[in-house]
Amino acid sequence: MTPAWIWENLPLIGELMLSHLWLTLTPTVLGLLVSLPFGWWAHRSRRGRPFIVGTAGLLYTIPSLALFIILPTILGTKILDPINIVIALTVYTVSLLVRVVSDGLGSVPVEAVQAAEAMGYRSWQRLLLVELPVAVPVIAAGLRVAVVSNVSIVTMAALLGIPQLGTLFTQGFQLRLYVPLITGILLCVVLAILLDLIIVKLNDLATPWRDRTVAA
Amino acid sequence: MIGFTNVKKAYPDGTVAVHDLSFEVPTGSLTVLVGPSGCGKTTSLRMINRLIDPTSGSIRLDDVDTQSLDRVTLRRRIGYVIQNAGLFPHRTVVDNVAALPRLLGGSRRDTRTAALELLERVGLDEKFAKKYPWQLSGGQQQRVGVARALATDPPFLLMDEPFSAVDPIVRTQLQDEFLRLQADISKTIVMVTHDIDEALKLGDQVAVLREGGLLAQIAPPVELLTRPHDAFVADFVGEARGYRALGFLGLDHDGALHRETSVRLGDTAVTGAHASGWVVVTDDERHPIGWFDSHAGHRSVTLEALTGHGLFVPRTASLRIALNAALAHPGRRVGILDDEGRLVGSIAASELLEHPAADRSLR
Repeated sequence: MTPAWIWENLPLIGELMLSHLWLTLTPTVLGLLVSLPFGWWAHRSRRGRPFIVGTAGLLYTIPSLALFIILPTILGTKILDPINIVIALTVYTVSLLVRVVSDGLGSVPVEAVQAAEAMGYRSWQRLLLVELPVAVPVIAAGLRVAVVSNVSIVTMAALLGIPQLGTLFTQGFQLRLYVPLITGILLCVVLAILLDLIIVKLNDLATPWRDRTVAA
Repeated sequence: MIGFTNVKKAYPDGTVAVHDLSFEVPTGSLTVLVGPSGCGKTTSLRMINRLIDPTSGSIRLDDVDTQSLDRVTLRRRIGYVIQNAGLFPHRTVVDNVAALPRLLGGSRRDTRTAALELLERVGLDEKFAKKYPWQLSGGQQQRVGVARALATDPPFLLMDEPFSAVDPIVRTQLQDEFLRLQADISKTIVMVTHDIDEALKLGDQVAVLREGGLLAQIAPPVELLTRPHDAFVADFVGEARGYRALGFLGLDHDGALHRETSVRLGDTAVTGAHASGWVVVTDDERHPIGWFDSHAGHRSVTLEALTGHGLFVPRTASLRIALNAALAHPGRRVGILDDEGRLVGSIAASELLEHPAADRSLR
């Protein structure tokens, strides 16, 4: 029960960290990609919006452990396959981001969208060149929540024996050691903060046009 | 030419926004649609570039039916300026203007160069080119909006309350600049406004619509003021319409003017004053400095004794401006200047009202 444990297990910790990163990022990116068309659909359809956003939101209430266990049956994958984790987290990401994408598109000034339409932008040109770029700050804000939440949910996969930082929790529990437990928690927090900062930075890079004096 | 023939717009719920609208906008001229809210003026405007489709009737651009064109193709032939400009918040000023030319395949460099020229044309300093819309004032944004609408040099221009969102001083400035620009580019323009003053000032012809999209009268401004078709138009044009009509009439010729002998600052003997006692004080080049009241008992002509500002107008001024200046003068007269700002003569308020042009139009 000494910090020496960390030193001895450094390669393992590094491996777990990398795997944790991969298991977090992949579903976050996939989830965003899936959310874009659904968010757009919700934004466009006045009647469909409550249904689309509501259904997406409900997905978040499925307990993660249950989802990890059910997915192999549905997908025909092995229970230890990390793909289950990726898909489960993609579902949660979509659940969070459909509303965010819809709100983001809704945040674009009506006049700008109208002007684009009247100038002769085709609807896909309007979406890609005007609406999505202007919606970035709102989408980025939602993405920050999603990525931090994913860092945390990934740890549940330890119960299935899929290695990532959560593995340190189960190990610490089995060995009655606090050091792995605390190490795992700290690394999760560090990872969450890092990913959050990266999104903030990317958002800044993508939106040089924002009024920083207000947005900060 | 933009032509409306029996255009009707009815919504599924039975509301009829535009009943049966027919009028024509001659090529190179500006027609203003004006009327109370609910008169269908904006609906009519938006039917031209098919943001709204008419229920029946036809709209033609140079004898091409708008329904025969693909919406996007149609819209790219028509510049569009809206209230609050509707600039793209994520693009710099120059890229806002260059956006459509760029979309149509122009190179970044060419479209930017053209955009910079256009910005200069609408009176925006080059230092704003790299700024984002939020960093501009409302008036500056509106200028960018106009430049953006002209970016592809479309033959037609639609303007929806383009100058309504700015304060009155900036509005006047934008209107004046726009008139100069239009004199230069001669686009075929339809503009919507709720401001009758703006309509009368900018329009080559003004279409007054009444509720339900019925055309009450379409005519050049001065005709609208002097010969309103009915009580509705007369009412809408406003209580000061007689006075406003003078704004469209000029002094025409100098025949009606009184010659003014002028005095200089420091003179003591004042001669040649009117019976009223008022005399013009000028410098050596006959540029007026002010009016001097020789009956007021001043011993010599000093700067402090002068009544000055705005009591002289150029001979090109309208009767309205001249009358306004004359009414502001304690002696009820106004000094008239030539193109170099030198005194030509003067005229009394009462004589302005009996001026042949005013007499004709107000009768």
